[in-house]
Amino acid sequence: MSAFAADLRVISELGRRSIRQTIRRPQLSAPLIIFPTLLLAIQTGGAGRAVQLDGFPQVDSFLQFMLAGAMLQACMLAGNSGGIALAIDIEMGFTDRLLAAPISRFSIVLGRLAGTAMVGAFTAIWFLAIGLIFGVPISEGVLGVIWIIALVAATALAFGGIGAAIALRSGKASVVQGLFPLIFVILFLSTAFFPANLMLAPAADIAEYNPLSFVVEGLREPIVSAFSGPDSLKALASIGGLGAIGFVTSALALRGRVKRGG
Amino acid sequence: MSNFRANVAMIRALVRRSSNELLRVPGAAIPGVLAPTIFFLGITSAFGGLTLLPGFTTSSYQSFVIPVSLMQGAAFTGAATGVNLARDIEQGWFDRLLASPAPRPVLLAGIVLSASLRSLIPATILLIIAFAIGAHWPGFLGLGIALVVVMGMATVAATWGTSLAFRFKSQSAAPLMQAGMLLFVFLTTAYAPLDLLTGWLQDVARINPVTQVVEAARQGFVGGVTWGDTWPGLVALAGLAVLLSAMALRGMRRMTA
Amino acid sequence: MAAIETEGLRRDFAGGIVAVDGVDLAVEEGEIYGFLGPNGAGKTTTVRMLVTLLRPTGGRATVAGYDVADQASDVRKSIGVALQEAALDPLMKGRELLQLQATLHGIRKARGDELADSLLDRVGLTKAADRRVGTYSGGMRRRLDLATALVHEPKVLFLDEPTTGLDPVSRQAVWQEVSDLNDEGTTVFLTTQYLEEADMLADRVGIISDGKLVAEGTPEALKAQVGKPHLELSLASADGVSVSSEGNDAEEDKAEEVLARFGKLLPPRDGKLLVEVAHGASDIAPVIRALDDSGLAVESLDLVEPSLDDVFVEKTGQHLEGDDDAVDGAAEPEPAAAE
Repeated sequence: MSAFAADLRVISELGRRSIRQTIRRPQLSAPLIIFPTLLLAIQTGGAGRAVQLDGFPQVDSFLQFMLAGAMLQACMLAGNSGGIALAIDIEMGFTDRLLAAPISRFSIVLGRLAGTAMVGAFTAIWFLAIGLIFGVPISEGVLGVIWIIALVAATALAFGGIGAAIALRSGKASVVQGLFPLIFVILFLSTAFFPANLMLAPAADIAEYNPLSFVVEGLREPIVSAFSGPDSLKALASIGGLGAIGFVTSALALRGRVKRGG
Repeated sequence: MSNFRANVAMIRALVRRSSNELLRVPGAAIPGVLAPTIFFLGITSAFGGLTLLPGFTTSSYQSFVIPVSLMQGAAFTGAATGVNLARDIEQGWFDRLLASPAPRPVLLAGIVLSASLRSLIPATILLIIAFAIGAHWPGFLGLGIALVVVMGMATVAATWGTSLAFRFKSQSAAPLMQAGMLLFVFLTTAYAPLDLLTGWLQDVARINPVTQVVEAARQGFVGGVTWGDTWPGLVALAGLAVLLSAMALRGMRRMTA
Repeated sequence: MAAIETEGLRRDFAGGIVAVDGVDLAVEEGEIYGFLGPNGAGKTTTVRMLVTLLRPTGGRATVAGYDVADQASDVRKSIGVALQEAALDPLMKGRELLQLQATLHGIRKARGDELADSLLDRVGLTKAADRRVGTYSGGMRRRLDLATALVHEPKVLFLDEPTTGLDPVSRQAVWQEVSDLNDEGTTVFLTTQYLEEADMLADRVGIISDGKLVAEGTPEALKAQVGKPHLELSLASADGVSVSSEGNDAEEDKAEEVLARFGKLLPPRDGKLLVEVAHGASDIAPVIRALDDSGLAVESLDLVEPSLDDVFVEKTGQHLEGDDDAVDGAAEPEPAAAE
């Protein structure tokens, strides 16, 4: 078996393990789906009248507007909980066992990320299903759905990289867990929940340049109106950028950890 | 020593012990303490435009949301109390208390009272930041009522958290402790006045007793304080506290059944 | 009045599991009672019922004269409890823990502070009193746990595996403390997985297996029940080389004939001849003399007395895990020297 094929097997095995972990540790997986779903329900009920405001984009309903934000939120939480799981592995010494195995070191991280991407794809399907159940039309139809699932999986992968980097750097689950509120800070400073033109300053100005706004707009356009070339490109570029940051920082953190001897 | 004095001493000792969580591992408490403020800043920045809707009762969305974030802080504190108790049960510490002759209601009071005192910490931080960015000053009476309500809500959330801790005896029930109370807090007039809520949430908020609690805490920030807006909230809190305390006590007694 | 008395004590759990199945025992005031049993035998469940952390589902139990189910509060006032997984809050300081425990027993603050000081001194933790429990060693934790169980001068003290996992020196310290307490009149109910501990400390021992009390008595009486002491000996042949197991049958037959005069012969083991003797050590000299008279030379001889482990194996069909571990550990081959 070639080295590459061996690595792939390791990645897929570790990916399956990370998905099993997500399912078997309800305290990790529950917040990931339940939290964004509850927030979605509360926000659509509480701020639903916002669609009547002057300057609100043309949408079918507030729920239609909010779906993209909920998916993005779930991706960030998935990245965070993947990081927590990795940190727990480090605390328990499981990672050391993998590092001692004759496999490419980065496949340890890639395995975890593969699992996170799968979880991301699942959240996309979950929220699209919620939309369909409550009568939200997906403007771009089946093609749009496929595009969204792929984009959400890629986003989860990117955030998984960042979560893994923090886990590898700190080696402590509590540190990664502590980032939870930070996720909401960044989200609230994007157009995930509300259009930028109706947000208050200074958040509105930050949202204009927040890469998360680009990601969420790229996810939102095919739901509420139509594919837009520039929006899709900006989304892809943002995801690519976030992914690159996650990749490089976790590679560095992994090297640091190996150098320090665990 | 009289029973009453002994019981007060026990409660005080238990409160002191649980303050260790805060004083001796300060790092661990920071996310929970800051979270309500972060949510406050986030919600007001994102949804601030809602005050432009016709029929919205105030022009300052910050003033409108303060009580919600205060309740959220209280709910978090209560949930954290439940998680800590679950850990104490898992590690066997709680057996020490159960095997002592301390009356069961005293043990519960010690746990719950510390939550209600602790809830003033996230509340203080939130209020300082909110006033700094321009929320309305609610007057001393309005502020006093809001703080009493915060402590009451923390009591309710702590009895909820402890009930679940006794039931599940495991920290993995944490999401249930947190989500349960947050739902109670947010399925109210959290984001907008009752008339502006959409469909189902309007119905739920109308019957949710915590809506009265939020409104009682809110009154000073968005207008004048009246007895008519105060007593329903206090009654709702008292009712929830009695109900959930009974549940928690029953749970504690079942621990040794 | 017995300090602890149970009649048909029983505990069922969901799913038809009977953890404790009709246990009758009586512990007299001032006794140290050792409670032995393999894991899952019902040891901990019994203790939890006696200390009011679990209600019996059948039978009854009194501790210090109070019913554990109906007078739980009075029981709690009369007992001190140190449970297996020493549940100590790592964030608290040793002194604080003792003060809290005193408060929980309704002791006034000034008195509680005094008690804390004297107990810390008693268990040798005065220097560590103002350090967090999280920094304590295993032995220090056990000693602190023992001290907390003593704040209200309990009549009956329950110790659940008080020395499990401790090093020999710390174990010795705990034993000394328990034995001192007993001298002062405290009744002690002790569970343990170390037979040596039960042998050293306990006035009487009860063995629980599958939820039932299968044996009870003083360690000596129990040992006597399972068998008399026996001698294990091997013979030297005329030329001074030891007789192998397949060896000189004639000599062996002759030896057996001689030995049979002293007691029942047991089947030979590992090439050694075994014979029960009635009196133990005082039988050694006559046996050697008799063999010598028959022209047989003894190469080695051991007097083997029954241990509590033999009692345990006979009554429960298994070894006690604590001792088992020790045996396994000793039997493990040394790691290769070259590494």
